[in-house]
Amino acid sequence: MDISFSERLIGLIAEGSSLLVKASEQMSFWERISPPEDISTSGHLIHWLFAYTTYVNLFWFTILCLGLFGFSFLYSQRRHKKSLYTHGNEKKHLMITAFIGLAVFVSVDMVITRVSSRDMKEVFWNFPEDSEDVIKVQVLAQQWAWNFRHAGRDGEFNTADDVVELNNLVVPVGKKVMIQMTSKDVIHSFYIPNIYIKADAIPGRYAKLWFDTTRTGTFEIACAEMCGNHHYLMKAYLKVLSQENYDRWTNESQETAIATNDTENMDLRWGWTWGSK
Amino acid sequence: MAFVEQHIHDAPKTFISKYLISYDHKVIGKQFLWSGLFWLMVGGLMALMIRWTLAYPGQPFPVIGNLIFPNSGGVVPPDTYAMLFSMHGTIMIFFAITAILIGAFGNFCIPLLIGARDMIFPTLNMLSFWFNIASSFLMIFSFFLPLGAAAGGWTSYPTLSTNLGQPGAGQTLWLISLFLFGVSSTMGAVNYITTVITLRAPGMGYFKMPLTVWGLFLTSILNAIFVPVLGAGLLLLTFDRVFGTTFFLSGAAATSGKGDPILFQHVFWIFGHPEVYILILPAWGIVSDLLSYFSRKPAFGYKMTALCLSTITVLSTLVYGHHMYTTQMSPLLTQSFMTLTMLISIPSAIFFANWLGTLWKGSIRFTSPMLFSLGVVFVFGLGGLTGLYLASSSMDLYLHDTYFVVGHFHYTMAASVLLGGFAGIYFWMPKMFGRMMDERLAKIHFWTTMIPLNGLFTGMMIMGYAGMHRRLYNPFIYEFMQRLIPINTFVTLCAIAMGLAQFIFLFNLFKTIFGKNIPKASDNPWEVGTLEWQIPSPAPHYNFKEIPVVKCGPHEFGNPNLKGDRDFQYQTEELAKA
Repeated sequence: MDISFSERLIGLIAEGSSLLVKASEQMSFWERISPPEDISTSGHLIHWLFAYTTYVNLFWFTILCLGLFGFSFLYSQRRHKKSLYTHGNEKKHLMITAFIGLAVFVSVDMVITRVSSRDMKEVFWNFPEDSEDVIKVQVLAQQWAWNFRHAGRDGEFNTADDVVELNNLVVPVGKKVMIQMTSKDVIHSFYIPNIYIKADAIPGRYAKLWFDTTRTGTFEIACAEMCGNHHYLMKAYLKVLSQENYDRWTNESQETAIATNDTENMDLRWGWTWGSK
Repeated sequence: MAFVEQHIHDAPKTFISKYLISYDHKVIGKQFLWSGLFWLMVGGLMALMIRWTLAYPGQPFPVIGNLIFPNSGGVVPPDTYAMLFSMHGTIMIFFAITAILIGAFGNFCIPLLIGARDMIFPTLNMLSFWFNIASSFLMIFSFFLPLGAAAGGWTSYPTLSTNLGQPGAGQTLWLISLFLFGVSSTMGAVNYITTVITLRAPGMGYFKMPLTVWGLFLTSILNAIFVPVLGAGLLLLTFDRVFGTTFFLSGAAATSGKGDPILFQHVFWIFGHPEVYILILPAWGIVSDLLSYFSRKPAFGYKMTALCLSTITVLSTLVYGHHMYTTQMSPLLTQSFMTLTMLISIPSAIFFANWLGTLWKGSIRFTSPMLFSLGVVFVFGLGGLTGLYLASSSMDLYLHDTYFVVGHFHYTMAASVLLGGFAGIYFWMPKMFGRMMDERLAKIHFWTTMIPLNGLFTGMMIMGYAGMHRRLYNPFIYEFMQRLIPINTFVTLCAIAMGLAQFIFLFNLFKTIFGKNIPKASDNPWEVGTLEWQIPSPAPHYNFKEIPVVKCGPHEFGNPNLKGDRDFQYQTEELAKA
């Protein structure tokens, strides 16, 4: 049993390293570990803050390592027989620690907190007005799928011409998309990796978020909050179309929606009046 | 302080009174140590199953897979996967780490380090241990129920954890088990706090206590205040499940009345955030002491460190909202929580500076406890700094619920606490069992743990940065994550290596305690001046024949005025002056 396990382990290591080799041929390590491509106008803010925090962290972590490894090297018992007798509570010591505390306050608290607050206020929480030309979508999360509802021609939700899609969010490129969202059963979290945002869909509440896109294509939408055994299967697609294609898609799917609308089935009327809280 | 009279009772004679229903704090500490190590192994095995599934989805778990999952041919099924990660978190936090750091070291160290004969409430202490055992068994029994154990994550957010998402009795058992755990923890906390306040030896002011006691004391205060909050939440959720109330139900599931699932998140994290400090504070205390002991130098800025730990304790109660940014609280609350969270960086930076200050111009002895303490400084540095990304509400939009979070909290809660726990075990082993652990094996254990540990948790953070989110049975059904397969494989191999390295520790531990021809440890093998090292090894029943009188601080090393060949002073000695 032991032998087969170790053989298996060696096999797996070999497999893993061959995978690594194979992988490195197709894709560099940095490409592999960088976040998904940014397709929004807000993503660069998160990139910037992440980079800044990384530099600050590298700075402090380098100091920490210099102290940790440097002192371990310099003041090992072999090199430094007699330790210095100090309790570190003299004025100069307090000044140094106070200075470090202050430097952390300036580099961390003042910058990261401030920039983060500013980004939230000016961008992520700065929801477009209802009067603006935005794409409005209602999202109903359920175990384990996403329902998307567009208002259709009349601009009113919960009417016969609503376009309802399962696991398929279609938006035009370049326009702001405004989402209102709730959940049917348990808490889910609407996560678009390519736009770097997520928000929880909570039963009994309406969450809202907005985003925009800068290029066409098909991207993935995931559920980020544990929502049951098949949480991992709760995947949807974000289809970003050109304005022209989007209009064509709206027209076609609206016709289909009106033609196939089942007025008897109240289950289809899960939408709500836009803006209601 | 000395106003409580401490009698010396006869030592228990029978097996039951000595080892099972023991009132002796040292035996209870050892009981907690054994149970903690047992659950650490169970939780570790679960972690390996989780990692295996992530790296090799659809392949049978090696060696024991067919035994545990016969129906799926050895492959971890999706529902079991959810149970595994839920129970891994629960067991590791409540039954492994809490038991070892707070149960074992709290019980063993507090009376010995403050010069008391026992805890102030020995019966409460005994009950605390047995409640913990009852609770842990209820927890593991839930695996044998028809629908299995709780599978809603260790946070068990409703409405997933109500009957709607968890129809099995496993979730109810989880709630009851944790409620019992809360009772156990609260009893322990009340005991620790009272002991530290009333039983300190004459002369031992708060600023003459070793920092280990400071850490345990602050932890107990947090425990006593916040574990009951968790208990309240657990009870309400139990009512929802069993009696049909709707505290946490809303939406279509709330057929009668309307509650709010977010309420549970508030209650849970009011407890849950202090909980991470409950786990780390004892480790910080132990590390602060050990760094000074083995640098042969007084703890740099001792008072400042103690005050920083206290500041962090206070701050930790005010920041819980950073776990809930994505629930879209009011922007005012979000920003306040972010600001308060970031403030923790300042006291943390100061005590890190003090740790490095302790090493500065010391005369460092690289014994195994010291190596592990230095390891804690390293991994907690990484873990603490990566917290900055998550504390920011805008970056959290992207990083929330990704593996970045998993890597971060494993660095702070798992890696630091585990290494701190090992440091403590290696350090107090002579006083606990009267024997020294094998230094060479201990050092091998350190390096074989430290290297894969960093691969493991850094790997997790890298995957999180690349967008991989948590609790996925098979992440690779997402196209954007398929590029992460080799990194997942690497992380899993690290996890396996780290798991195997723990057998070195187990071997060393069992060899030391039960092996033959192991030399007896001297009374003070590490040459440290705190009170526990003045009594014989292992510590005798009722610890101190005479209650010691404390005259100087715990970290008096390298005083140039010292006569004789010792470079340290016992706490019972007058501070050497010129």
